[in-house]
Amino acid sequence: MSSSIAELLWAEKYRPRSLDEIVNQEEIVRRLKKFVEEKNMPHLLFVGPPGTGKTTAAHALAHDLYGENYMQYMLELNASDERGIDTIRTKVKEFARSRTPPNIPFKIVLLDEADNMTADAQQALRRLMEMYTASTRFILIANFPSKIIEPIQSRCAIFRFTPLKKEDVIARLKWICEQEGCKYTEEGLETIYEVSEGDMRRAINILQAAAALGTVTPEIVYKVVGLAHPKEIREIIRLALDGEFLKAREKLRTLMINYGLSGVDVIKQIHREIFGQELKIPEEIRVLIADYTGEIQFRLVEGADDEIQLNAFLAWLTLLGQKLRGSS
Amino acid sequence: MATKNLPWIIKYRPRRIDEVVDQEQAKEKFLPWLRQWLQGRPPEKKAALLYGPAGVGKTSLVEAAAHEYGLEIIEMNASDFRRREDIERIAKIAATQYSLFGRKRIILLDEVDGISGTADKGGLDAILDLINATRYPIVMTANDPWDQKLRPLREAALMIPFNRLSERYVVQTLKRICVAEKIECEDAALKLIAQRSEGDLRSAINDLQAIAEGYGRVTVDIVKGVLASRDRQYSPWEMLRHLFMAKYAWQAKRAVTHADLDYITMLQWINENIAVQYSDPEDIWRAHESLARADIFMGRIMRSQSWDLLSYVFDLAGPGVALARKKSKFKWAKYQFPQKILLLARTKETREIRDAIAEVIAKRLHVSRTRAKSEVLPLLSVIFRERPDYAARLAIGYNLTDSMVKYLAGPMYNQVKEHINMLLLRLEKPSTAATIMPASSASGKHKQATLPTSSRASSSSTSTSRRRSSTGRRSSSRRRRKGGGTQTTLPL
Repeated sequence: MSSSIAELLWAEKYRPRSLDEIVNQEEIVRRLKKFVEEKNMPHLLFVGPPGTGKTTAAHALAHDLYGENYMQYMLELNASDERGIDTIRTKVKEFARSRTPPNIPFKIVLLDEADNMTADAQQALRRLMEMYTASTRFILIANFPSKIIEPIQSRCAIFRFTPLKKEDVIARLKWICEQEGCKYTEEGLETIYEVSEGDMRRAINILQAAAALGTVTPEIVYKVVGLAHPKEIREIIRLALDGEFLKAREKLRTLMINYGLSGVDVIKQIHREIFGQELKIPEEIRVLIADYTGEIQFRLVEGADDEIQLNAFLAWLTLLGQKLRGSS
Repeated sequence: MATKNLPWIIKYRPRRIDEVVDQEQAKEKFLPWLRQWLQGRPPEKKAALLYGPAGVGKTSLVEAAAHEYGLEIIEMNASDFRRREDIERIAKIAATQYSLFGRKRIILLDEVDGISGTADKGGLDAILDLINATRYPIVMTANDPWDQKLRPLREAALMIPFNRLSERYVVQTLKRICVAEKIECEDAALKLIAQRSEGDLRSAINDLQAIAEGYGRVTVDIVKGVLASRDRQYSPWEMLRHLFMAKYAWQAKRAVTHADLDYITMLQWINENIAVQYSDPEDIWRAHESLARADIFMGRIMRSQSWDLLSYVFDLAGPGVALARKKSKFKWAKYQFPQKILLLARTKETREIRDAIAEVIAKRLHVSRTRAKSEVLPLLSVIFRERPDYAARLAIGYNLTDSMVKYLAGPMYNQVKEHINMLLLRLEKPSTAATIMPASSASGKHKQATLPTSSRASSSSTSTSRRRSSTGRRSSSRRRRKGGGTQTTLPL
């Protein structure tokens, strides 16, 4: 039990601080420790699915290189949050000029979600990496290596992070539960592993919310996930199938704006709902809807407009609903 | 029928001849011609062709005259001319039947220049036959009567030109409507609308109504914002009206290529109004799917800068949407602003708070703000709504401001706030060492300092007895709220 009146998110509280604390990804940790020993390293590219420890490893590496106050020698940027390559360039330039660490000949620029940069921006990034290569090393983090341009890949040592094993995730969750003194059942933790799809950060976040509601059982976990994933999604599907296109559209719009959901977030949740038993529709229709859902998701990933695509989806659902009512 | 929902161009159309403004020359030709008919002395030319730019009062003058002289208008639209039975119906009324007790009639053939295509050759002949046989005045209107094919009509009709309205009269009319509707308006704003309309009173009134209904008032700033430059032609509402009224692909394509909007905004306008205009689910889906295809092409253009794909955007967003209508009856729809833009403005404050929370969380969890928003905030919100006592500790841990707590806790705000105050009260007691976790482990740069923060080093001990007593208080307040007491002390 925490002995303080303030509490943190466990994903922050229990993040490994040094490479020694990282329990899985042994091969990667071993290679990274070599860099610490040699006090030198090339540019690094960490790739792998979310929640597998990429960012944590980068921080732990910097921690082990520079000590407790490592943040003064590391510039952390998130490509999704920065407004274009120009702001990144300015920040890197400024950072390169700041003071250098005492024992290590370089500083670190950590660029998260680098695969969200356009190919042009990545070209500019490549030049940036070359320009400051004497005094800085870049650690680039990406979910999809294929979205990183070839010239950058060839300049980096690539580290592939694999999805965490089920027992590793559950062991970690158990350990946190013991630290926090919260009750759980084995099935509860397994459920967390399943809904978080091997993403450790997500698993820990769900664990914390579930533990706040009571003993961590499958029911509590589903309840938490259900509460966090607004039930409006189901209502929207229902409204459309009932022929209320305009109402469904209105609700979807409010939902997206209030929760800050992207079109892909929404379509994924719709996909999840389609096979849920709360939705009473003929079984073969579920497949039909899933097919169109996938089509819409593909369009969104390709860069189409959230609202226009989702409206087409809702209009289609409305028509489907009419046909279902007509046939029954 | 509630007059509230009437388009103003209908609500305020002239009822008397002198309400038709700025067309004195046209009246001087038209009225004597009409009076001859009414006095039972059909003039030599049995038809009149009123021509001139759109929205200057051609149809209005006919309607006003009919109203004033008590005539029944038999109206036929250009698009109907190809249908043989319609022509025959009109022809029958016009030529063979006297109106025994009923009112006298006037036959109005609107937009005859719409039939200039070769396919309508039969229609043109039918009109000529009609003019020969008629016992009632026939009035035709046209924007451009000078097409070669219309020559027979020009010869058969008295030609009456209409001029562009001068700005002064357009402003005057707009002003009169504003007064009648009790709409707050700036004279300079009306002048802007008038200028942009280029003497087209109908489009000016439509613009006025759209702005007044969209914003509640008419100011220069709004007009400037809404009606951009005039080198392209249609305002959003005009574009939509032309689009949804289009019967042929080229008309729909013209509507979207002449819209005074950037392409992406235009797609949003259409997106907003498909279901406003159409009622049949199948039509709605066909239109939305076509628009979605247009949007895909737009996305490709933006990514690859291949602007030669733009034509496909127009094809799918224009004709694709317009010709999707199979079953929906045409109706006068009140088009809406893209609600997303309005909603974004209305929820700006909320979103700013949400973004601020996301920023705090993103920094500390080393994730992007987007990920913090979609992945962490919903779970945080669950804790805030379900466990106010625990939420209070998180709020202190992250130095969340009041408005942030309000955003996360929603209806449970007061309870969370109560717990925060309780916890803070303990801090103020001098006997207790100030013991809160550091607000930041590594890079704390928070704008919203509500609390003094101390370092991790001093955060080890709160007096146990004190903590226990506060836990007791917490659970008792919880019991009060829930009205039953199964929940005891907290596991955390």
